[in-house]
Amino acid sequence: MTPSFDDFVAEQVTPLLRYATVLTCDPHLAQDVVQEVLLRAQQKWDRIGAVDLPHAYVKRMVTNEYLSWRRRRAAKDVALCMTTLESVTPPVGDTTHHYDEREAMLQRIAKLPRKQRAAIVLRYYENYEDSEIAQMLGCAEGTVRSHISRALATLRMDHTPEPAGVGLRLGEGLS
Amino acid sequence: MNDTEQLVKDALGKLAERTPHPGPTLNALRRKRKRPRNVFLISVAGMAAVAVLIFAGVIASDRYTPPSGNDAAAALIPGNGQSVALKYAPHWLPTGYVENFRLVDREVHRVWVPEGAKGFPFTDGGPQIALIAGGDQPEGVDWQDTTVRGLKAKIALRDQTAELVWHAQDLLKVSVRGFPDARQVALQVAESVRADSKVVHRAAFKLDGRYADHTWGSKPADWEAMSIWKNQVSVHVGTLPPQLVGDTKPVVVRGREGLRTEKGVAVFDGSVWIWATAESNTDLVVEAVNKVELVPSPDTSWIGKGL
Repeated sequence: MTPSFDDFVAEQVTPLLRYATVLTCDPHLAQDVVQEVLLRAQQKWDRIGAVDLPHAYVKRMVTNEYLSWRRRRAAKDVALCMTTLESVTPPVGDTTHHYDEREAMLQRIAKLPRKQRAAIVLRYYENYEDSEIAQMLGCAEGTVRSHISRALATLRMDHTPEPAGVGLRLGEGLS
Repeated sequence: MNDTEQLVKDALGKLAERTPHPGPTLNALRRKRKRPRNVFLISVAGMAAVAVLIFAGVIASDRYTPPSGNDAAAALIPGNGQSVALKYAPHWLPTGYVENFRLVDREVHRVWVPEGAKGFPFTDGGPQIALIAGGDQPEGVDWQDTTVRGLKAKIALRDQTAELVWHAQDLLKVSVRGFPDARQVALQVAESVRADSKVVHRAAFKLDGRYADHTWGSKPADWEAMSIWKNQVSVHVGTLPPQLVGDTKPVVVRGREGLRTEKGVAVFDGSVWIWATAESNTDLVVEAVNKVELVPSPDTSWIGKGL
């Protein structure tokens, strides 16, 4: 039976926002992306609700929306800093020494080209296989492996974190 | 999985903890939901509109209407008065807050107060949240820097009122009064503000070509709209009878029997009261009430509603 759009939204809005937050590294952009996608999904719900896994379909819409959104806004500054993130939801207390490493890693992830970033998120946050990532990104599995390999190489490079409160310029490549 | 991969996984997990609350997104969805469109009807309506415009253009092309004195003032009001795009809406407010006041002038004010607040809660010093679009940059030295959605902003706390100003497409201000944590509430409201072209305001009456710029009330059937006319007469239309001060005598106004006091006049016109007051005894009050043009179906559905 096709779930109603309202039931779908009630159940999936938080997972979608969580995915979009990780994908965009920006809670505000995540809200905008999810909102835009759900508005479009509502218009086509007769069709989307009838597919086997509506949430997977909408998640792919979120990915595509993010990729095209980034393309439209590639030349713009996007504030990405812990201040911005914490203004939406205060961070959970973290007293471990991993905190700075994770924060530095987040900033490096945020600088990755968009498809590399999406591939990293799908692999290490969503635990997708190469074939699933390829389907999600609309590319070959070899391309997925290339994206992840290049991204990991970039992330391994020694990097000094930027001070908190400084917006990062995310005019990343469009490849 | 090597160290880098584990660190990537940990970092992404940490980022996921910052997922925003779904409330603003759900509220925005509720407001912006697009209804299925009847393409055929839209096409027919579109063709009809084009035909009318062409016809009107042919008729009007050789006419010239000189600008009236009101045009300049009306041009300052977004949307030209009757149907004004409020342009911005918050998608988060503290529980139980409802909208009860709008001012549409060069600035657009929207005010929310606790549900059930009596009297004039937007002026009595009690708790309220206001969103103001337009206006001037803040001045003074007690403003502190902050950010709203990554944009530079300034915030000041005075007498338990927090004022937060930032520049989106317009200058926006959130004012929060009567909260122990007014600063935090102001930041949270501001973070939820989104541009929303579908939120419009329709004034309740027109006088000398200008639509009423103030509207307030406690529920859709209990409202009042007001404008100042000629800088000296306060003109009102509302659902509740006005409180007249001083001796009254009958007077004919708008072709009906009304009541005249020394400084004011009031008449019940069908379904609403219309009245005007001035600082001194002047017949301008009668002239103003006679000139009021009522809008057939004023939109008061927003009064007393939350998000």
